[in-house]
Amino acid sequence: MSASALALTDIHKTFGDTRALDGASCTIRRGSIHALLGENGAGKTTLMRIAFGMIAADQGQITRHGAPVHFRSERESIAAGIGMVHQHFMLIPAFTVAENIALGGRGRLDAVAAAETVRRIGAATGLAIDPQARIADLPVGAQQRTEIVRALAHDADVLILDEPTAVLTPTESDELYRWMRRFADGGGAVVLITHRVREALAVADDVTVLRRGRSVLQGVAKSLTEDAAVTAIVGDRLAPDVSAALMPTDGEVLFALEAAAVRDADGRQRLRPTQLLVRSGEILGVLGVEGSGQRELLRLLAGRLAPSEGRVQRPDVVGFVPEDRLHDAVIPAFSLTENTTLAEAGALRGRVDWSRETVRAQTIVSDHDVRASGVQATMRSLSGGNQQRFVVGRERQRSPRALVAENPTRGLDVRATARVLETIRAVALAGGAAVVYSTDLDEILSLTRRVVVCFDGFVREVSAPADAEDRTPYARALVGADA
Amino acid sequence: MLELLLIPFLEATIRTATPLAFAALGELVSERAGVINLGMEGSIIAGCLGGAAAAVLGGSAVGYLGAALAGLLLASLFALFVVRLGSDQIITGTAITVLGLGLTGTLFHLAPTMVGVGATLPTTGPVPLPLLSSIPLFGRVLFTQPLPTYVLYVLVPIVAWWMRGTHAGLALRAVGESPVAAAAAGVPAARVRALAIGFSGIMGGLCGGTLVLAQVGSFNENMSAGRGFIAIAIVVLGRWTPYGTAGAALVFGGAFALQYLVQTLGLALPYQLFLAMPYVLTLVLLATLHGRAIAPAHLGR
Repeated sequence: MSASALALTDIHKTFGDTRALDGASCTIRRGSIHALLGENGAGKTTLMRIAFGMIAADQGQITRHGAPVHFRSERESIAAGIGMVHQHFMLIPAFTVAENIALGGRGRLDAVAAAETVRRIGAATGLAIDPQARIADLPVGAQQRTEIVRALAHDADVLILDEPTAVLTPTESDELYRWMRRFADGGGAVVLITHRVREALAVADDVTVLRRGRSVLQGVAKSLTEDAAVTAIVGDRLAPDVSAALMPTDGEVLFALEAAAVRDADGRQRLRPTQLLVRSGEILGVLGVEGSGQRELLRLLAGRLAPSEGRVQRPDVVGFVPEDRLHDAVIPAFSLTENTTLAEAGALRGRVDWSRETVRAQTIVSDHDVRASGVQATMRSLSGGNQQRFVVGRERQRSPRALVAENPTRGLDVRATARVLETIRAVALAGGAAVVYSTDLDEILSLTRRVVVCFDGFVREVSAPADAEDRTPYARALVGADA
Repeated sequence: MLELLLIPFLEATIRTATPLAFAALGELVSERAGVINLGMEGSIIAGCLGGAAAAVLGGSAVGYLGAALAGLLLASLFALFVVRLGSDQIITGTAITVLGLGLTGTLFHLAPTMVGVGATLPTTGPVPLPLLSSIPLFGRVLFTQPLPTYVLYVLVPIVAWWMRGTHAGLALRAVGESPVAAAAAGVPAARVRALAIGFSGIMGGLCGGTLVLAQVGSFNENMSAGRGFIAIAIVVLGRWTPYGTAGAALVFGGAFALQYLVQTLGLALPYQLFLAMPYVLTLVLLATLHGRAIAPAHLGR
């Protein structure tokens, strides 16, 4: 067998104290489509960024046609025939297609020749784009074609595509897959980073699955079942403690979405028309990989976002714990007291009664076990766990009818996690409702038996399986299987 | 009337616009790479002292070389902090300007007689260009100027062509729009930024050299008089294009030249009013022009 087009062996990479890659390997054969699968944070993109020379591996070996290579920059990997289409496109919006493709060259800029290259590659591959169009004016599909054409203009024979179908319509996706096959048949190699298992198995020749920075499965797509792939992606986790999970109730309706949908500034539908009821005494668990619509769903419920279509009914006071607490929940440079007051800032006028606010801050600190040198300490000086307990405590103190929490235990240790989950449970047990999004399936299952999964802007209720410890239906819904 | 008022006014406009255009052209290139060089003022004053000192030692040509190198020196320090160490552009730029003003003042006090008032610097006065200078009206206005002005006549089109017509120019503009995307296309973004800052330093130095060698004839403390900041306003008014910047420099040159016109006319207006003119213009323009939409997207970050 001929040497592989690109092989990464035993790659390790650490960011700060996070181990992103911990012995990942991946061998890409010439003339093949290679699917790289894994959950968010499994290390797929990091591994391919290393292959593209964007970041350096701490340890490990990369070979190209059997010979060791060291890429110190994108420039070197591009020269070696590797192209990468990033999930968030790396194009200059103010430039034309031709200018973006000429970028990175030397000497005199020949605009005519650059436009000719775009047309020639367009004619040869079917990836037609107007060379004079400004990127900012193009739809995402055409922007993606520009990225691919740029890689081809640099004679790439290995093309890495990071979640390429996330921004495409089904028809566009099919076209892209057909093009990928032609490219591979012509001797090129494609790496397809994706979380869509079914599509990957249908289109790819080879599959590598990463889990927590390690390659846990390398095989031939044909001999792999969907279930086997999903199991490899999710892994054999310890069974969650589901004994305390709350059941759905038939209490008073607190939240009601009636065909509520959200479009972003570019007009793309982030959340498709959704029907959803949340009743008093319930916890609604929300699952979804990044960008699936859960962010918009939570903000609709929290009142941070207005629906572009449909109606949202919600209680007057809803506490909200956003994912990025230092950006969206508190001001790091302000004291705990000031941050306490800030939660009500929109509704209050006139003089601030600081002695009253100090007492309120002290109550949060003592009730929620926030370890701080005092309420005059700045938010920034607290550890992540203490910051989060403060934010959750502050929202709880507003006596909300409901609490919406987005990944509330992110980065917290076991003790802090337990404390935060306890507070969320308390809101529901007191006759309110809680909506919790988490990237940790086990955490959701330990909280509630009522779960919705977001995928591609759709919100789908997953009925609890008979066996409380069975996680397969959730795992499959998360990666878009059975949709 | 024409002879007495208009021609001297226009001639003075171009003369005073020349140092401004050098600084603004440098600032333009730096800003197109996404860097606001607030250290420009520092490069200018360094160019003044460096130019004066080098001219004393080796004549006017060496003087301009010294001016350029002195400007480059301060800009290199700016680039070291901003590009290599990732410091904040605004704070670092302000510090470089303060450093330039302070350092030149201190050095000047070590030997005030060498380059100060009364020293005989080899200056470069107006050089009428053969034939061209005898064109009626335009000849005296455009072609009876000191050499640095002629350099600009050539440099502005070259920079304009370079930015549009070369891969290096494209890379410069790309880095100003999105350094990450430029890097993904194989552009060495950090190096592009450092080189752009270096160019702006050389231009700032030449601005200072022109001031001291072609106009004032001696070094004074703080003689850059805010031209580095005016250059920033000129770039905004010029809509971040080379020709626009050159035109905007003329507008500011005209604002400076107004004071000569007023003196010639013998108007009973306090001349300080007209001295303040370019600075008022700077304030008004920076406050009213909505430049964000066309400014490089990654400017200042």
